[in-house]
Amino acid sequence: MTVQDAAVPQTEVQDYRNNSLLFLTFRRLFRQRNAQVGMVILGFLVLVAIFAPALAPYDPDRSLIGIEPVEKRAGPCIHALGCPSDQPQHIMGVDGNVRDQYSRIIYGTRISLFIGFSTIGLAVVVGTLIGAVSGYVGGWVDNVIMRFMDVILAFPSFLLAIAIITVLGRGLQNALYAIAVVNIPVFARLVRSSVLSIKELEFVAASRSLGASPLRILFVRILPNAIPTLIVQATLSIGAAILEAAALSFLGLGAQPPLAEWGTMLGSERNQVFTSPHLVFFPGIAIMITVLAFNLLGDGFRDAMDPRLAQLTKR
Amino acid sequence: MNKQKLFNGLALLLAASLLLAACAPAATPSTESPSAPSQPSGGEPSAEGFVGDVLSAESCDYGGKILSIEAVDELTVVFTLCKPDPAFLAKIAFTPFGIQPKEWIASTGGTGQILERPIGTGPYMVSEWVRGDQVVFSRFDDYWGEPGSAQTAVLRWAAEGAARLQELQAGTAHFVTNISPDDYAAVEADPNLVLVPQDNPNVFYIGFTNTFAPWDDVRVRQAIAMGIDRQRIVDNFYPPGSEVPHSFTPCGIPNGCEGEDWYEFDPEGARALLAEAGFPNGFDTAIYYRDVFRAYLPEPPIVAVEIQTQLRENLGINAEVVPMESGEFIEVSTTGGLDGIHLLGWGADYPHVTNFLDFHFGAGNPQFGNAHAEIYEALQQGSSIGDPALAAPIYAQANNAIKALVPMVPIAHGSVAHAALASLGGAYYPPFGSNEFYRLHPGSDTLVYVQNAEPISLFCADETDGESLRPCQQVVETLLDYETDSGNTVPELATACTPNEDSTVWTCTLRAGVKFHDGSDFDANDVIASWAAGLDAANPYHVGNTGGFDYFAYLWDGLINDN
Repeated sequence: MTVQDAAVPQTEVQDYRNNSLLFLTFRRLFRQRNAQVGMVILGFLVLVAIFAPALAPYDPDRSLIGIEPVEKRAGPCIHALGCPSDQPQHIMGVDGNVRDQYSRIIYGTRISLFIGFSTIGLAVVVGTLIGAVSGYVGGWVDNVIMRFMDVILAFPSFLLAIAIITVLGRGLQNALYAIAVVNIPVFARLVRSSVLSIKELEFVAASRSLGASPLRILFVRILPNAIPTLIVQATLSIGAAILEAAALSFLGLGAQPPLAEWGTMLGSERNQVFTSPHLVFFPGIAIMITVLAFNLLGDGFRDAMDPRLAQLTKR
Repeated sequence: MNKQKLFNGLALLLAASLLLAACAPAATPSTESPSAPSQPSGGEPSAEGFVGDVLSAESCDYGGKILSIEAVDELTVVFTLCKPDPAFLAKIAFTPFGIQPKEWIASTGGTGQILERPIGTGPYMVSEWVRGDQVVFSRFDDYWGEPGSAQTAVLRWAAEGAARLQELQAGTAHFVTNISPDDYAAVEADPNLVLVPQDNPNVFYIGFTNTFAPWDDVRVRQAIAMGIDRQRIVDNFYPPGSEVPHSFTPCGIPNGCEGEDWYEFDPEGARALLAEAGFPNGFDTAIYYRDVFRAYLPEPPIVAVEIQTQLRENLGINAEVVPMESGEFIEVSTTGGLDGIHLLGWGADYPHVTNFLDFHFGAGNPQFGNAHAEIYEALQQGSSIGDPALAAPIYAQANNAIKALVPMVPIAHGSVAHAALASLGGAYYPPFGSNEFYRLHPGSDTLVYVQNAEPISLFCADETDGESLRPCQQVVETLLDYETDSGNTVPELATACTPNEDSTVWTCTLRAGVKFHDGSDFDANDVIASWAAGLDAANPYHVGNTGGFDYFAYLWDGLINDN
């Protein structure tokens, strides 16, 4: 231990680290009731997605015709709730193609989470790069990029996604691209505004005066400071992306049969809303819960990063 | 002074106008035959000065059934056939052969306005077609027959069975078509509704176009025929009363089931055939369909997924399910433009085996790719034999050829029912054609009828879609009509059609005193003009919506002047 080290109390070092923006954000996040609920639900969904093969009693794509004595669109049969034990148990009923609805909902979790994370992940990466370059370089480059982003933002995002799918063709993969593309401008603008404000700060000027390269300044000094804002926006966007993907699949433009995607399941049984409501109820509830989880988490992040709220918390 | 000049000027203008009006031809529609070379030519003037038009082919070498149609006098039309057609009367009663005024056809050029506002002699006339919403009809008060009880009839559409039923339950519609089999019980249990069954022979099939690989290999087509469990589809996805087909044509149609029974379900044999054709592990393809409820296919997406499942599990074939817009699907599939398999069907238009077989497997139909001579030659032979017993061996030969060559796989003969408000008087549905609005009595000034989809166009000479033929049937009449409870024909615009000894010449006597919706009188030249627009490919008004005029081509074995 050096003299200098001894002069700095250990507790102060700890305090300094504990006061980083990211650490404070997460500390406040875990105290948020909404965020706690969102994280619990999301954690549960992630576990369901990971252990889907163990949780689902049936192959989600396999028709049970000739395998079990069950009719198409049969309602839920739960032995614990009085369904005769000689009947096969289907806790969410069976669909029009005589497939176990519960197994399809379970496997649908995988697809929906994958859609949410992959589309927004792609949008964050591309949007961040575009926004960072635009904000840091400035001038005519910034003007051109941002006007292009404005053009994309001028279209209603869902209609733009439909237009993109019309060009690329139907299917889950193209739907993912379409949803990612319509989300790129949101992240590009967000990162650009962060870069514009951060690049004028003194620590950036200090790095520049020490001879740091523009790339190093951008990616090591500036962008890390934009991450918390990105996380908030990304979390909120994942819920919206899942909704958009479900809507596209409902219209027959996204995931295609026999894929167990919740929007596709809703779309294929939309005519049975009165005769077999369980076939639209369960996929609808699954979509709602997943989107709710991301929204609660996103709201929690936003509140946790709000300085005014931070002040209120201190008081 | 100025007033005097003005007065003189006006007087001069008036005199000049009168002079011009006297020299100009009358503005009333001409009854002369247009001078276009392919127009029906004028015949000899009758005693009353009537100049009858004639539509004729140079000879029977063009391959079609009709040699000529002649307006002998104002109320007599003579059809001369190249060969006898046992279904002649049933065919001419079919809606696409409806009659419109000669002058109206000429003024529209056979397209444009006539696609949206047909003029006929029927009990209702089109008031307005609001695209995407509804077609509004108003009662034709000069109708020659029993007038409609409702002053206004509104035709709407909803693709979803649940939406149609909801309209009925809410009382916002009097009659809805094609109730989902899952809703039969709900309709029967509701005292305000009645189920209206329809005894319409139909077939649902999987079609292949043999100009695309791998459908050009008959072994692949046979493998599909053997690898699909049709009984499983009928048992699980069709209402009670539906059947697994013995042949393409339902057995209720005379000669429909002559010949061998269709392939038994044999997945092992099917896989062996696929391996022999070079596809031991299957292949990738697409299943095209339109999401429109039909008697032969009540739940298209569900059945499409079931077929997808069976192809994958029984044959190792990976098929993508591709729904298409209805009009586009019909156009592309029937012209042989789909590279995968397509799910389509057929509801009988008239009770004769030719309606099923000749339309689909005739020499000129590109739907299944290159036509098979083994099939169409037998059909040509059979279609000229009036006695069903004599034609039976020929139809057995045709059905056996269809089985061997597998241009399609017949999956189901579906049963179907519609629904109406219990308060709707005269609720019915005929086995052939659609119900006529004038026979329905809503007890109010407006009848609301909801069908499955929007019409494609209302010039039904060039339409094959049932959703288009239904509104046409209210407006445009044919020479004969079908009875409401059978396929027998009854007089409509013709009071009688009588054959000569060998049934190659049919003389139709037209109803006198019939008026079109535009106020003009109906006569024999209107019949010639309407048939010429559809049957004569060189006629200047042979334009229509797609220009295909499929029913003219298929039911009469080809178009005149169709080079």
